[in-house]
Amino acid sequence: MSQSNQALVGSPTVSVHFDHSHRLYEPQARLTVRYSIDGIADDERVRAVELSVLWYTEGKGEEDLGVHFFERMTDRERLPPAVTVGSFVSSLPLSPLSYEGLIVKVRWCVRVRLFFTDGRDFVSEHVFELGEIPPAQTKPDGPAIVSV
Amino acid sequence: MRLPRFFGKKRGHRRTGSQAWGSFGEGLFYCVLLVAGLGFAGLLLSGAAAPEWRVNHEFLETPCTIIGKGLARYASQEADSAGSFTNKWQPCLRLRYRVAGALHESWSTALPRSSRADRPTAIAQLAAWRLNDELTCWYDPADPNSVVLERGYNWWLWLLMLLLPGALIVFGGSGLVQAIRVWGKSEEHRAASAGLPEMLDPMDHSPSEAPDHPGVPICDDLINSPGTILRYRLPIESPESWTLLGLGLFAMLWNAVVIVLAVGAGLDLLGGTIDWLLFALLVPFVVVGIASVCVFLRGLILATAVGTTQLEISAHPLRPGEQYDVLLGQGGSGTFRTLTMTLELVEQATFRQGTDTRTEQVVVWKEQVNAWHDIHLVPNARFESRVRIFIPHDAMHSFTSEHNAVNWRIVVHGSPERWPAFSRIFPLIVFPSQIAPLASKERSHRSRQEGVL
Repeated sequence: MSQSNQALVGSPTVSVHFDHSHRLYEPQARLTVRYSIDGIADDERVRAVELSVLWYTEGKGEEDLGVHFFERMTDRERLPPAVTVGSFVSSLPLSPLSYEGLIVKVRWCVRVRLFFTDGRDFVSEHVFELGEIPPAQTKPDGPAIVSV
Repeated sequence: MRLPRFFGKKRGHRRTGSQAWGSFGEGLFYCVLLVAGLGFAGLLLSGAAAPEWRVNHEFLETPCTIIGKGLARYASQEADSAGSFTNKWQPCLRLRYRVAGALHESWSTALPRSSRADRPTAIAQLAAWRLNDELTCWYDPADPNSVVLERGYNWWLWLLMLLLPGALIVFGGSGLVQAIRVWGKSEEHRAASAGLPEMLDPMDHSPSEAPDHPGVPICDDLINSPGTILRYRLPIESPESWTLLGLGLFAMLWNAVVIVLAVGAGLDLLGGTIDWLLFALLVPFVVVGIASVCVFLRGLILATAVGTTQLEISAHPLRPGEQYDVLLGQGGSGTFRTLTMTLELVEQATFRQGTDTRTEQVVVWKEQVNAWHDIHLVPNARFESRVRIFIPHDAMHSFTSEHNAVNWRIVVHGSPERWPAFSRIFPLIVFPSQIAPLASKERSHRSRQEGVL
């Protein structure tokens, strides 16, 4: 079991528990995530909660994003403070696999996004690995970079 | 009430808030375009199209008699000289016709085959009409004094009305629908929404994906050409061809301008006048024109002289941990000092730098498949060699998204004796490893354990 728990000062705390150790998953594996939301101030009211499993790119290029699982909860009986814990299950796809390249990186993550009634939102992101692709390595003579 | 923030941390745990302003600005922009298009369309409809439609559908036909001729004067101010006016003249006829039994007299300016012109031309046009001639006219039943001698549609006006406001309405409307659709939605929610509204996004350039393999490019274009010996012939990726086409177009257009200038200068010379400014301009234009033709011809010769390179492969798409046969065919004539084949993995990122969009490529893995030395080619008998490539078992699969890509390719480098060296690129698609079924995984695990025991 792997756990992620971080918070900003004066912000909610979102804890996410992955069911695989080291957050390492094989393609088509079953991903089970448990989450808990704490630290919501008394004067803040949650309007909606979004849960998503997605990949995004990092690196030199503009960021691209692909959503694999998405759920939006707006029913007040399922939102904090009434309910502060939950879980969801998703079967992971065959691709794209997590990749640590030199100028292109592909990362998978679970995002929990809270929408408050004043229009602001808070997002908590928890990265995991899909597949076991070793990182791209720079050779001693360096990579050949070409601008096209 | 707190205002939304303009900036936020990009990753990790953070509060965000700038999206509302961004969506509002985008929606306002498209709204302005839509309103401008509707306003423009309304003006054209009410000012030109509706009156024309009424003439053709509501005006009543009646016989009439020409009882007078005249010229209507239209004064217009010159743009370049303040206060000076020029006059245009339009022929018009005084007509007598019956409306519900009563006689009416009115001027008609919409005459067939006449237009606003200078006074002598207008008088000449007016001479075509004779007093007391019997004609057919159409009058407005709501205003019997409004009468015309010709009906029909001005198709240019209708085309203009469809094109200009239509483009603004379609662009503004689709953008506004898109802005409303994403209003208040997170980026995950937007990305998860699919279907018909996605078609409204004119800026969506997402690449096609292979079925059941998100982020993996489709390989239909790579398997639609059968090989002569192996299963598929790989298409060549040649950015040089586009450069050559661009050079050819530039040379053609530039020299067309040079020819127009040269003909003008030549006619002046034949007429006995020499425009020294035109000749001075012509010299650098001719130099650039000749240089562009030379560069284009050089590129054309280099592209065609070496001979074609063809690759055939035994299967496609490729999978990590598997081997594939590749057949290299090199045409042409003469001697090649070296011919090498490499298998490469390339990362490609597209990003904005100021107002420019740039693309950068990095070769992150490269393996030489084979190298051939001192090959003697003769015409009509191409060099052929069959080699085997291996995709490492832990290799990244091909990946493509709107701005990022990880591409596999075979590159053939050649060094002909008489021509400059060349590189030809053949893209490959590598799918992720096939997931072994659970039963076979268990069998493999059991056999390993038995081996240990």
